[in-house]
Amino acid sequence: MSSLSTSTLASTPVIGRKKRDVAYLVSLGFLIVVVAAALLAPWVAPYAANAVDFTAIWQAPGGAHLLGTDQVGQDLFSRLIHGARESLLGPLALLALATVFGVTIGTVAAWNGGWIDVVLARITDVMFAFPGLLFVVLVIAVFGKGPATAIVALALAYAPVIAKFTRSLALAEMARPYVDAYRVQGVGGFFLCVRYIIPNLTPPLLGYLVVLFGEGLMSLATLSFLGFGAQPPSSEWGLMVQEGQSGIIQGHIWPTLVPGAAIAAVVVAVNVVGVRLSDRLNSRFER
Amino acid sequence: MKRNDRFKPFARTGVIAGAAAFTLALSACNAAGPQAQSTPTDVSFGPTTSEAAGKIGSFTWMITQEPATFDLDVDSATAENTIMSNVCERLMQLQPDLTTTPHLAEKAEWTSDTTVVFTLRKDVKFHDGSPMTADDVLWSMQRHAAKGADESDEYANVTDMAKTGDNQITVTMKQRDAIFLQAMAGNGGIVLNRKVVEAQGANYGSPSAPDACSGPLKLDKWSAGSSITLTKAADYWDADNAAMADTITFRWADDNAIVNALTSGEAQGAYLDSPATAGPLQKSDKVQIAQGPSTNVWSLIATERGALKDERIRQALSLALNRQGVAQAAFGGLAKPWKAPVGPGSWGYEEPTFSAAYEALAGAPAQPSNEDLDKAKKLVQEAGAPAEPIVVANSGDSIRNVISSALVEAAQKIGLKAEIVTIPRQQYGDFYSDASLRAQADLFSDEYYISKNDPVGFYKNGASTAKVNFVKFASESYDNKVKEAQATTDDAARAKLAIDLEKQWTDAVVWIPVAHTPATIAMSKDISGAPSSASFLYYPWAADVGSSKK
Repeated sequence: MSSLSTSTLASTPVIGRKKRDVAYLVSLGFLIVVVAAALLAPWVAPYAANAVDFTAIWQAPGGAHLLGTDQVGQDLFSRLIHGARESLLGPLALLALATVFGVTIGTVAAWNGGWIDVVLARITDVMFAFPGLLFVVLVIAVFGKGPATAIVALALAYAPVIAKFTRSLALAEMARPYVDAYRVQGVGGFFLCVRYIIPNLTPPLLGYLVVLFGEGLMSLATLSFLGFGAQPPSSEWGLMVQEGQSGIIQGHIWPTLVPGAAIAAVVVAVNVVGVRLSDRLNSRFER
Repeated sequence: MKRNDRFKPFARTGVIAGAAAFTLALSACNAAGPQAQSTPTDVSFGPTTSEAAGKIGSFTWMITQEPATFDLDVDSATAENTIMSNVCERLMQLQPDLTTTPHLAEKAEWTSDTTVVFTLRKDVKFHDGSPMTADDVLWSMQRHAAKGADESDEYANVTDMAKTGDNQITVTMKQRDAIFLQAMAGNGGIVLNRKVVEAQGANYGSPSAPDACSGPLKLDKWSAGSSITLTKAADYWDADNAAMADTITFRWADDNAIVNALTSGEAQGAYLDSPATAGPLQKSDKVQIAQGPSTNVWSLIATERGALKDERIRQALSLALNRQGVAQAAFGGLAKPWKAPVGPGSWGYEEPTFSAAYEALAGAPAQPSNEDLDKAKKLVQEAGAPAEPIVVANSGDSIRNVISSALVEAAQKIGLKAEIVTIPRQQYGDFYSDASLRAQADLFSDEYYISKNDPVGFYKNGASTAKVNFVKFASESYDNKVKEAQATTDDAARAKLAIDLEKQWTDAVVWIPVAHTPATIAMSKDISGAPSSASFLYYPWAADVGSSKK
């Protein structure tokens, strides 16, 4: 009895871990393929992204067009691959920008404490209280639509999230003995933050950002779908969904389904990889 | 911080992504199979659907948006006209075949080159029971002609209007205006009950105000944001043409919802904004589709921005444009590649002459042949390619997506660079009035139609002083012909002038014509009788709708 119980208890986590590993490896493999396809788009795609062919409109997958064609006969597979560049680079750029803002604000708030912390905390609270999409739409209304504005606007919306996260990590890091040791030696705050604290925050922050990437991709696709982000003739995935929707009513689902499924698959894969990555990085961080 | 808490918001992302995938999969299940072809092949074409067999209690009709007002001097877009054409009547009346006949005016006669006399009917009664008088008619015409009124341009040549008898109105013009009588079949010819309009003041046209008209149906209830109900006018003065239905309810929704409402039987009909919507409706065994004549043509309208100043570049693009492809891709095959900027619904007289002249037009092939492309390339070489890429405006909707993609493709084929700029839909209409917006694009696509069944009513837009001649096409001979055609009341002579104008316009490719969109009606098989032409904007079409069975 005792040995059976022990065996059962021991085997469950192993199976669970194996399942997680399979999901992780499949997701990672999928992401590698997507990134590789994006990088090699001009060589991999069978057609130019915007090659119009009125003799092949609304075609279902198969034959000359692996994933079918859209309303003007553009090859969906080719557009998907070309569009992967903008669809993946967009969230990357927005996270880079948001991270610069967020980490700076979070670290400054944690390090200085006092009124600076209070002021920065209130500013981020205000940003939190404001509906993200509404904020982004307002920014776009002022500065004009387009992928660059959408990225900057979303970066501003994401920065408070990263700032809060960074602040909490930085506070924990500052409680470690080495920080006091450097302070006693007269090491300046700026140097200490840049040289030691921020680098030590990188592992958990990185895991967090990987997961945030998926959300960024969805947000940018949403803005393009609404007409605020990427503009025609771009093949950004959110825009492809928007352009394809006129076909649904006529029974042509592929122009919507293909980019929609691509967004969903990449977001799920990024989440799976991100969670696993952050597990690993966090366990190192906590050690 | 607990690790799980850190990632809680993002677990939601996964769920959303999963839900998105699920929704997409669901849409795949609901939609027709991927191989399904929605191109209708057996759509009837003619001015009307088959005559109604009997009366009907009520039916529901779909429109794409709620009217802004029913004061048509303030605003008269498709939604307002579709409803109010049944409520308000005009001096002249547009018929389903797009010809014009006298209506509230028993007779309209040119008594001299510059004078037209309307003899009014004596038996017309408004919905409040009061008789129509010459004073009402004069007051209505003066209201339409007032500065800022929606139809004031129809009165541009009018110098005087006067009551010259108990049932007579005389209009004096600075020059003979051959299309003035046709204009009186549009909203410029509506006769209003002065007493009712004045009693309502600024409230006239709002949901709470009564109508001031004499048509076969009257405004019963406007539930703002929800529906508009018309009821059969009691004791309608023209008993032979009284409404066959007791009640008609108008509801508004987008194209998708209209398709669902019609296929589910929640609504019985709609005039479709885009013929492409007819594709999925034709699969329903409950719905019949019909098309009829209209003046509507989708064109690429050249602006003053510069790249298309040289007409050879415009001619080259016109030669290289795949109109057949656009008609198929954007309109599901229910539009026709078109060579002129105005549709055959404008051929209200001398139809065979106009038709033959249209067939002879060159420079706008349905599908460009190699010869056309060679000719286009030669034109580009002669003119020299513009230094900057040609910019075509798009609003992100399906039809303009196709047209702008086709233009870019055409440009690329003949060695020109072209790119697309997206303008918000809400702003797109400003292309006609906002020069700064036109500075952003060399071409914008739009569907243009005229309310008169006379091509002269369109070709006046090519005069050097015309507001929509953005590309600054200038020809003294053209300007003179416009004036001459406007003053020519003999149909054969005017048709000859109109054909000359058409030839000059299309040779210079002032606009690049793309596709003619016939009027398209979708209607339950339980009802019948509605006209299938564009006359529904001005003709009391709903009065003709009844049961398809006895």
